[in-house]
Amino acid sequence: MSGELERRYRRVLRLLPRYYRAQWEQDMIGAFLDGWLTGDPETDEYISRVAWPGWAEVTSVAGLAARLYLGGTGAPRRYFAWGQAVRRAVLAVLLVHAVLAADILVFLERGRRLVGWLPPPPASLVIAPGGGWDMEYYLVSIAWIAIFVTLALGYYRTARVLAALAIVPGLAALIQAQLTGIMPGPFAAWPFWVLFDLAPVLAMTAFHRNAPPAAPLPWLLALPAGYLLVYGPLLALQATGNSAWLPDFPGLCCILVSLACLVHTPRAWSRQAGGTGPWSLTLVLLAAVAGAYRILTLPGYLHDPHLITVSLTELLIMVGAVVLVAPDAARAQAAAPAPPPYPRAMTA
Amino acid sequence: MTGQAFFVLTALADEPRHGYGIVGEVAELSGGRVRLKIGSLYGVLDRLAAEGLIEPDREEAHDGRLRRYYRLTRDGRGALAQEAELRAATARVVRVRLGLAGAEAAG
Repeated sequence: MSGELERRYRRVLRLLPRYYRAQWEQDMIGAFLDGWLTGDPETDEYISRVAWPGWAEVTSVAGLAARLYLGGTGAPRRYFAWGQAVRRAVLAVLLVHAVLAADILVFLERGRRLVGWLPPPPASLVIAPGGGWDMEYYLVSIAWIAIFVTLALGYYRTARVLAALAIVPGLAALIQAQLTGIMPGPFAAWPFWVLFDLAPVLAMTAFHRNAPPAAPLPWLLALPAGYLLVYGPLLALQATGNSAWLPDFPGLCCILVSLACLVHTPRAWSRQAGGTGPWSLTLVLLAAVAGAYRILTLPGYLHDPHLITVSLTELLIMVGAVVLVAPDAARAQAAAPAPPPYPRAMTA
Repeated sequence: MTGQAFFVLTALADEPRHGYGIVGEVAELSGGRVRLKIGSLYGVLDRLAAEGLIEPDREEAHDGRLRRYYRLTRDGRGALAQEAELRAATARVVRVRLGLAGAEAAG
């Protein structure tokens, strides 16, 4: 009676992890069919032939699947490891945004000479004050600091809403550029928007109710530390007239991920240190983002073989560094430490 | 406690119900404002079960399928009572601040 409709709904439920389906699938199918079938054989046969699970139903199952695959407290080890890795990767990408925003704040300050001892920015980098788009760009950039801090402090919903709003102006600018051929304001191109704006906003699904809170202090301290680590050497190169050594942003991302992999490798290879797997998985995810960005920006250098060589070298170094942590990342799915129990686990 | 979890626990307060029974009861309790999709319902149910607030009650055959019924545990009943008290207290404060409490008493 319910054959076709049941088959269609079973197909939707394949989005869910196998362990979950084993436990809940029959129940879910029963509840779903109860909502459609009337008990009258003819009517039910007709319904079964023509009805489909609606978009809202499919979306609810997809949302549940995302929560389960990016597991939190109480999830099986493999999914907990993926959840932790994605949550840390999102925080790391937001940290990059926040460091960039801090640089913009310092850059604006240097332009206005509010702090006397900081050198003014090079004339070639000073952008003439533009219209509303420039102002919007600066505001959105600085908003990423608030989004990063909010997420690190555990205000997941607020961070998700702010981040979803923050990526809209960049998208609007890109669409306008697509239509008019002129990019309004200093917004980044599509590869940056997709990899550094849209992807983390979507991946923030991993910060659900069951996600264990991250320790906020190390992440918050990473902001000033990250700024000094990145911009200290860059400002030194700029000040000493060695700007030619400055890597472009995709190159910088590859270098930073490579350094992070090298720093993490002794722990990843140590037999004593347990629970490093999710961090290794995080680094693999970040390498995938940095590598994709490096590759997508290569066409801009096709006119210069030297820059292509430099870019490919950065990419190869990163791949070499990631290979060092990849085995630990692979093991993470089986051997990540057990997730902390629910606060009130099965107290009945 | 989320609004959905609160409604699901409330739907199970008077008697055990199966999945679609909970969906219908929640819609009725909320005056049609909360219409749970099956994916959302089971997302709430598995979380409440893992937290020990609900548990399976029985299974019954219906049209060739098994319906699983759920009931509140003692912890679930306690958590629901606590949440209801909290929401009622909040509502009382809101009514006082809006000047509705006195008007109602007078009316």
